[in-house]
Amino acid sequence: MKILVIEDDATTGTYIARGLREEGHVVDLVHDGRAGLLAATGGGHEVLIVDRMLPQIDGLTLVKTLRGAGSTTPVLFLTAMGAVEDRISGLNAGADDYLVKPFAFGELSARVVALGRRPQAIEQETTLTAGDLTLDLLTRKVTRGGHEIDLLPREFALLEFLLRRKGRVQTRTMLLEGVWDLSFDPMTNVVETHVSRLRAKIDKPFATELLKTVRGAGYRIDG
Amino acid sequence: MPLRLALVLVVLFGTVSLLSLAASYAVTRAAFEQSIREDLAQDMAGFRAAPSARAVALLVQAESQQTDPGRLVLSYVTRAGRIYGNGAVARDDEGFHILSLDDGRATLDGAYLALSARLYGGRLTIARSRAEVTALQPVFLNILWISLLPTVLIALGGGLILARRSQRHVEVVSRALERITGGDLGARVATGKRWSGDLARIGGAVNGMADAQERSVTALRQISSDIAHDLKTPVQRVSLQLAALADVVPEGEAAALVAETRAEVDGISSVFQSLLQLAQVENGALRAQFTSVDLAPRARTIVEVYEPVATERDQTLTFEGPDSAVVQGEKNLLGQLVSNLIENAVTHAGAGAAIAVRVTADAQAVTLSVRDTGPGIPQAERSRVIQRLYRLDRSRNTPGNGLGLSLVDGVARLHRATLSFEDAQPGLCVRVVFAR
Repeated sequence: MKILVIEDDATTGTYIARGLREEGHVVDLVHDGRAGLLAATGGGHEVLIVDRMLPQIDGLTLVKTLRGAGSTTPVLFLTAMGAVEDRISGLNAGADDYLVKPFAFGELSARVVALGRRPQAIEQETTLTAGDLTLDLLTRKVTRGGHEIDLLPREFALLEFLLRRKGRVQTRTMLLEGVWDLSFDPMTNVVETHVSRLRAKIDKPFATELLKTVRGAGYRIDG
Repeated sequence: MPLRLALVLVVLFGTVSLLSLAASYAVTRAAFEQSIREDLAQDMAGFRAAPSARAVALLVQAESQQTDPGRLVLSYVTRAGRIYGNGAVARDDEGFHILSLDDGRATLDGAYLALSARLYGGRLTIARSRAEVTALQPVFLNILWISLLPTVLIALGGGLILARRSQRHVEVVSRALERITGGDLGARVATGKRWSGDLARIGGAVNGMADAQERSVTALRQISSDIAHDLKTPVQRVSLQLAALADVVPEGEAAALVAETRAEVDGISSVFQSLLQLAQVENGALRAQFTSVDLAPRARTIVEVYEPVATERDQTLTFEGPDSAVVQGEKNLLGQLVSNLIENAVTHAGAGAAIAVRVTADAQAVTLSVRDTGPGIPQAERSRVIQRLYRLDRSRNTPGNGLGLSLVDGVARLHRATLSFEDAQPGLCVRVVFAR
C-alpha cells in the first residue's frame, strides 16, 4: 500500500515509516500540516496517518479540508489526548479511525491494513472458511475437518469477526471495538481469555493452529 | 425583598394618611364648632338688643314659627314661667335635653350646642344643631376609603409584580450560576433592560467571573494538552524504541529486562491516559455530546465480556435487568463506568465471590448496581476510594492504578447520577442512580 504519514515528531515519524516499509508498504513522510495537505492532494495514497497536533495546519483542519474537497482516502488519526472529546471531534472531522499515543507499532500496522482494505470487507457471504474450518452464517454451525464444534454466541461472534478479516492481524483494542463495541482498554486480560477459550475449541483438538498470536500486536486467523 | 419593602411602604403611607386625615378632621370640626358658637353669640346679641321681656318673647315666638327645631331651638322662659319658643331645655341625671313643645315634651334627637342667658328676669336659651359637625365623620371616612384603598392596592400590586420580576431575575442568575458550577462554563446571565440596577450589576459580575473562569480553564486545558503532547511524544518514542529493542535483543536476561521496562512504560502511559481522561470528564463540556444510551444491553454485553475472566477466578458474574433502560449520556464513558465497576469487583472480591450486576428502571430513575460477596470497603474508607490514586492498604498488591473508581465517580457526576457504596453484608454494593 502507498501510505502518507504526517507527523511532526521526527523520531516517531521515522519509526512509523521504517516499520511500515519493513512490512512492504510504500511510505511518504512529511512533518507539517501544509506539506501534508499538498502531499495528500496529489499523492495517490491509500491511507493517510495524520497527527492531531501539527505545525502550520493542524490535523483536524487538514482532514476537514481534504473531506471538504471530496477526498475519501481513509484517515487514521493519531492523538496525544485520546479522550472522548478528541475522538469525537476527530471522527466528526472525517477521520476513519484513531489511535492514542503512545501506541504499539503492531496496533498501528493492524489498523492501517484494516483501513486500506475497508471497502472489500463488505461482502455478502453465507459461509466463512479458514483451512478446514467452516463457519455457516445461516445455520450458525461451525465445523472443522468434518467435526461439528459447539460455540457459545460470544465465541461465535469473535470467530466470525476474525474470519471476516482472515490473514490480517486484529489487535486487542480492534477486537474490543469490533466484537463488543467497547472503545477503552480494560485492565484485566479479557481479550486473551476470550481468545484462549475459542482456541481451546477450534484449535486444541486439531493438529494445526489456525488462530495465531502475533507477538506485540494481536491475533490473526490464517488459512 | 421588594415585597417586604412594598408592605413597609404601604403601612407607612397608610399611617401618614390616617394621621393627616385625622388632623384635618379635628381642624374642620373645631372650625365648624367655632362657627356655631359665633352664630349663637350673634343670635344672643340680637335678642339682647330687644328693649323688654315682652319684646324678647314676641321675637322668640315669631322666629320660632319659621324655624325648624331640628336646626335651631329657641326657648324663652319668663319670670312668670311662661314658655315661648319651639323647644325647652330640661335637665336630668344624664345632662341637658332639648324637649319639643309640640308633641308631649318628647326629647329632640341629635346633638345641640346651646347658649343660655338671663334676659329681663327670664331665661333665653338658643341651641343650634351640631348635625353638620356630626356629618363630617362619614364624609371623612369616605375620603379615607376612597383615597387610601386604591393607593394600598396599587402599592401592594406593584410590589408583588416587582417582587415576582426580581425573583425571576434572581432565578436567571442562579440558573446561570448552577450551570457554571456544573461545568458549563459557557453559561451566562442574559440581563435585560427591565432589570433592577442591583441585579443587573450582580448578573454582570457573574458573567465576568464566568469569563475569567472560562479563560483560566481554557488556559489550563491548553496547558494540559500541551503537557500531554510534550510528554506523550517522548513516552511514545521510548515505547517505540523499546519495541525495536525487543526485536533485536537475544532471548535471556536482557530480553526479560526489556519486557519489564515495556510493561512499566505501558503503566506510565495508562496512568497518564486515565488522568487526562478524568480531567476531560470533570470539566462537564462533554454534556453537549450526550445522546440516548440504552444502559441495559450495554451492561449485558460488558458482563458477557468479563464472564470468562470471572470464571477463571472461580467467581460467578451474572446480569439481571430489563430489555431496555435508556439514559442520556456518553456511550463510551457509560460503558467504561460499568466496566470499571465490574473490573473492580472481579479484582478485589477474591476467588469464589458472586458478582451480580443489576439494572432497574422506573419512571423516576435508572439504577445500576454491582454487588459482590468480597471483603467490601470499610465504612471509614468509602468516601476515599473515589479519590485519585487512592488504594486500600490490602489492595496494594493487586493490579490497578487507583483511578478506576475516580473515573466512575467523574462519569457519574458528568451524568448527574448519584454514586453510593453500601455494605452488602457481606461484600460491597456499588449503586449508580441516573435520574430521569
